[in-house]
Amino acid sequence: MENESKEGGQFQVWTCRRQHRSQPRQQDKNVSDEEENRGAAAAAKATNLSWAHLHCSSMAGRRALKAVLIDLSGTLHIEDTAVPGAQDALNRLRQAPVAVTFVTNTTKESKRHLLDRLRRLNFDVQEKEIFTSLSAARSLLEQKQHRPLLLVDDGALEDFTGIDTSEPNAVVFGLAPDHFNYQTLNKAFRMILDGAPLIAIHKARYYKRKDGLALGPGPFVTGLEYATDCKATVVGKPEKTFFTQALSDLGCSPDEAVMIGDDARDDVSGAQNVGMLGILVRTGKYREGDENKINPPPHLTCDSFPAAVEHILQKLL
Amino acid sequence: MADRGWPDCAKSLKGVVLDLCGVLYDSGEGDGVAIPGSIEAVQRLKTSDLQLRFCTNETQATREKFVAKLQRLGFDISVSEVFSPSPAAVAVLKQRGLRPHLLVYDGVLPEFDSVDQTNPNCVLIGDAAENFSYQNLNEAFRVLMGLEKPVLFSLGRGRYYKETDGLKLDVGVYMKALEYACDLEAEVIGKPSPMFFQSVLSDMGLQPCETLMIGDDLVNDVGGAQHCRMKGVQVRTGKYRPSDERHPTVTADGTVDTLAQAVDMILAQRGH
Repeated sequence: MENESKEGGQFQVWTCRRQHRSQPRQQDKNVSDEEENRGAAAAAKATNLSWAHLHCSSMAGRRALKAVLIDLSGTLHIEDTAVPGAQDALNRLRQAPVAVTFVTNTTKESKRHLLDRLRRLNFDVQEKEIFTSLSAARSLLEQKQHRPLLLVDDGALEDFTGIDTSEPNAVVFGLAPDHFNYQTLNKAFRMILDGAPLIAIHKARYYKRKDGLALGPGPFVTGLEYATDCKATVVGKPEKTFFTQALSDLGCSPDEAVMIGDDARDDVSGAQNVGMLGILVRTGKYREGDENKINPPPHLTCDSFPAAVEHILQKLL
Repeated sequence: MADRGWPDCAKSLKGVVLDLCGVLYDSGEGDGVAIPGSIEAVQRLKTSDLQLRFCTNETQATREKFVAKLQRLGFDISVSEVFSPSPAAVAVLKQRGLRPHLLVYDGVLPEFDSVDQTNPNCVLIGDAAENFSYQNLNEAFRVLMGLEKPVLFSLGRGRYYKETDGLKLDVGVYMKALEYACDLEAEVIGKPSPMFFQSVLSDMGLQPCETLMIGDDLVNDVGGAQHCRMKGVQVRTGKYRPSDERHPTVTADGTVDTLAQAVDMILAQRGH
C-alpha cells in the first residue's frame, strides 16, 4: 500500500474497470470485454497527469498493466490435459482489470479447433480472444495477394478458406508431420529457388507432444533458407509484428502488457523484445536452464500458469 | 626451404590426393563416363614414387559399390585407397567411444556394421534422401535432446545437387535443421573438414606440405586442402566454372585443364 499515493492514477483505472467487471460476464462476454477496454482507455485518458508518476514509481517506468497475453499449448494445457489449477487461475485473472488474449504459434489447428479444446478442458475463452500465427499468415497473404502452396496441417486449412491457391507463387510453411517428407521439401525448395517467397508460420524449434518432444517448423524453414540462400518471412512468435498486432487489437501498448509462456525464446524473449514483460513457466516444453538462454532474462520464471497469475495479481497490479 | 608454387612444388611432393566425381569421371546414366586421359593419368601416378589416395564426399553407397563402378570404367583403384566420409566417421566414432544413431541412405549402412549402435550417445546424418522423413528426423532430434552433451556428425554439408529428375536437397540442409532444433553446431566429416583431410594425410604418413589435392570443387576440394596447408589444384572438368578463377576467398595454387595435364606437369617437374 505504500505506493498507493504515487499510483493513484492506476488505482482509479482499477476501480473503474472493477466496476465493469462486477457486471455479470456470462451474458455476452465479447461485448462486455470491449466495453471494459474502452472504459479503461477512457479512465487512462482522464488520469493522464498521473501517468507521469507511474513512470517514476517502483514499476520501473512501466505503465499500469492492461493486458495479459497467454500462450496455450504447454502453458494452459499439454495436448488434452489442462495444467493443474490453470482454469481457476484464469478465472482469478479475469476478475482483475486486465484484458486477456490467447496467443499461440499453432501451425496445425484452426481457431475453432483450439476453442473447442479449451472449452472441453473447461477454460473460459471466447474465439475472438484467440490470436494465432495462422491468422497472422492469412493477413500477410491477403495484403500481398499471394497464391500460396499451403504446407500446413489439414486441420489448419479452414483458417485459409477463400484464399486462392491456384498456380501457387508463394510457399507457406507450417507443420504437417503427416505430409512432411523428402519430396514435399524438394518441391517447396524448387519453388523458392524459382523466386517464390517463403512464409513461415513460425520458427519454433520444437514442441511437446504426449509422446515427447517433436520438431517444429523452425528447423525445416532454417534448412530451406540455407539451401536457397534466402530469408523466410516469419509471421508467428517471436516476431515483433505478431505481438504488436495482438496488442493493437486490444488497444494497448507493449509496456502495458505481460506475456506468459513456456518457450523462453518465442514467448518470453519475443515479448520482452517489444517492451512487454515476459513470464516463463516450467511446464510444457520448458527444460532446466531455459531461463538462462535468453538475454535479458525473463521478468519471472515460475512453476506453472497459476503461479504466474498469482505474481501478476500480487506484484504487477 | 622456401614455399614453392605450382608446379614447382611438385618436386618436393610425396603424395597426391584425387577427388573422384568430376576429376576421374562424369556421373550420368549407368556408371557415367571416364574423363579422357584420366584412366592413364591415374596409372602413371600409381607407377610413380608418389603415394596416391582418392577422396570423395559420396555417402549414398558403400566404398565397395562405387569403387566397383570405377573399376568397370577402367580405373586401377582399390577400396583401401579411397577415403569417403563414412569410414572416416567410423574411425572418429571408435576413437571417441561414440555410439551413433544413424540417419543415412540404406546403401551406406553396411559401412557402419562394425560400430556399436546400441544406446546411442551421438547422431550421425548422411545424404539420406527418402529417409529424411519427419519421423526419422524427429527420432534423430530426440536422441540429441536426450543427451547431456549432444554431438551431431554430418557427412558433408552440401546444399543441393542435381539428379536427372531435378534438384534435390542435400545433407547440409538437414544438418542445419538439426543444428537449429538442438541449438548446436554439427561436426562435419568429409570435405572441406580439416579432420577429413588429416585422416588421409595420417594414412599416408605425410605432412600437409608434402601433399597435393586435385579436385573440381574449388571450395570443398581446393579450399579445404589449402586450409590444412596442403596444396590445391583445380581441374577445368566436372563442376568447374570459369568464375572459380575469380573466387573472392579461395585461389587455387594452380588450375589445369584436366587430371591428365596435372599429372604431366607433376611428373615433368620430378624428372620422369
